[in-house]
Amino acid sequence: MKKTPALFAALVLGTLAHGALTPAANNDGLILPAGFHAVVVAEKGKPLRNIVVAANGDIYANTPKDGLVAFRDTDGDGKADEIKSFGEGGGTGIALHEGWLYASTTKEVFRYKLTPGELVPSGKPERIIKDLPNQGQHSAKVFAFGADGKLYVETGSPSNAYGGKKDRALGATGEDPTEFLKTYGGYWRYDANKPDQTRADADHFSTGHRHSTTIALNPATGKLFIAIHGRDQLNTVAPQFYTDDDNAENPSEVFHELTEGANFGWPFTYWDPNTSQRKINPEYGGDGKKLAEAGKYPDPLIAFPAHWAPMQLAFYTGTQFPAKYQHGAFLAFHGSWNRAPKPQKGYRVAFLPFDEKGLPTGKYETFADNFAGKPVLESTGDADHRPNGVAVGPDGSLYISDSQTGRLWRIIYTGN
Amino acid sequence: MSRFVPLAVLILALAACSKQEPSPATNAAAPKPSGQEAPPATVSVPAATDRNPGAELARPSAEPVSSAAVAATPPQPPAPAEPATPPVPAATLAAPDGEALFKKTCATCHQANGGGVPYLQPSIKGSAWISNPDPQLLLSLILRGSAILGEAAKAYDNDMPPIDAPTDAEIAAIATYVRGRFGAPPVTEPVTPAQVAIARARPGLPE
Repeated sequence: MKKTPALFAALVLGTLAHGALTPAANNDGLILPAGFHAVVVAEKGKPLRNIVVAANGDIYANTPKDGLVAFRDTDGDGKADEIKSFGEGGGTGIALHEGWLYASTTKEVFRYKLTPGELVPSGKPERIIKDLPNQGQHSAKVFAFGADGKLYVETGSPSNAYGGKKDRALGATGEDPTEFLKTYGGYWRYDANKPDQTRADADHFSTGHRHSTTIALNPATGKLFIAIHGRDQLNTVAPQFYTDDDNAENPSEVFHELTEGANFGWPFTYWDPNTSQRKINPEYGGDGKKLAEAGKYPDPLIAFPAHWAPMQLAFYTGTQFPAKYQHGAFLAFHGSWNRAPKPQKGYRVAFLPFDEKGLPTGKYETFADNFAGKPVLESTGDADHRPNGVAVGPDGSLYISDSQTGRLWRIIYTGN
Repeated sequence: MSRFVPLAVLILALAACSKQEPSPATNAAAPKPSGQEAPPATVSVPAATDRNPGAELARPSAEPVSSAAVAATPPQPPAPAEPATPPVPAATLAAPDGEALFKKTCATCHQANGGGVPYLQPSIKGSAWISNPDPQLLLSLILRGSAILGEAAKAYDNDMPPIDAPTDAEIAAIATYVRGRFGAPPVTEPVTPAQVAIARARPGLPE
């Protein structure tokens, strides 16, 4: 009985909030499950990357080159009435932690103290990490806070499959990546509060990946999960073994638990979703059939279709959505470019169900679709929108950001 | 004996299309393309942070090419070594399909419509490298990859590898196709395998 007043209040507040929100006509073209609706929060006009929503509903986004953007809805209709840019440079990662707003550039992690009432932090940013390798290709630096309060920061591999000077070209031949992987292709663990840390202050936590722009903590278990972008251009590098169709469907984008010392098998191997096997990359002697040594690298917990480009991951922590969504996470897929000459795919937000033990079930379902706005997409640039960020708001709404025109949506559930 | 003649012709025809670099003697004999305004070796560099998805690659700051340059006859390949063999009429050789080769070799990164991928690979629609009436800039870029752009290549995340495995005839067909489709204005003058051979033999951009 004690819970009743709180539950009643939540229901009333929820009802009031929804009553004031105005879903977009036809859900702004998005395809959503029954009972869900899309509210257009803002259209920035410039690409948005990862997003986070504060306890008061303020939304913060990182951008590729225009610093950070803050959005505030002052009258409760769902549309942002105040949109303010702050900070310099550009980047991808963003997160809230113990009253601070953390954001990454391609070579640093900064944080700003959040003060109640302030949309834009008035204090100067503190630099927590500096001198990250700024390598051009795969330079986004996503991060998350672990259950231990530490900061886990990614550094991608500036490479496709470490194929030397011919990387991405016909006949690319793999080189020994041992030294390379000491600097690239992994996650590093830092203190969350110490200023101006460098690699010398960090623990090399995991290795052997190409690029990961996906990391989040499952609050139910305290475990970190990541997704990894698979390699490109199997048919370009080794047309004797891979057709255009083979390349369009290979290799998987993979989902793993991030554990200390993990090696995810790049650049030697990739995951074939058609046979559910780990295979040797053609740069290292593979022929489309040759299997990797059994047990040497972890099998993925989820194998997504090739080239979909997994971006931000957000565990659903709200209660607004139906019960099935309350054990799982939402993952934004940026959409492919490397399926050509086959049509491009992937431009969507998926829901990943998790089981009672806090592990993914291995399945995923499309939650929000039609961001590209076309039934058949030939070229990436023709997509109307590309999902990049997802975050859960204090009332359980799901926010989605777009890297094409900078649109920001709020997905709500009304049941009708 | 006569039944061997077609084979000999075929071999010569293949040799003419070969991706083999011309011998040093051939290099020396091949005059440089004349009459064109040479672009500087360095190209304009966009601001390091300028990764505008719609932005083109930095344009080579070449002067407008004179009509004389356009009219300049590209150097011809050396005559076949065996004068006894009758020359093969060009029309009887099946020219490679430039559109098919573009889809196979280029469209993966630059996309089927040439629009590129934001931040990763540039749009090639209306590219100055493609639109220049003289094909040597474009051929150098194809054969050497984005390394010849220097700092300007950093405007996009992914490097373009050298596309030097196709034959001269195949690269000529690709160049002819992209000039006709993506040039602004479209360039209809076909690119010849001999022009590709010149670009292949040269270490970098035209002087």
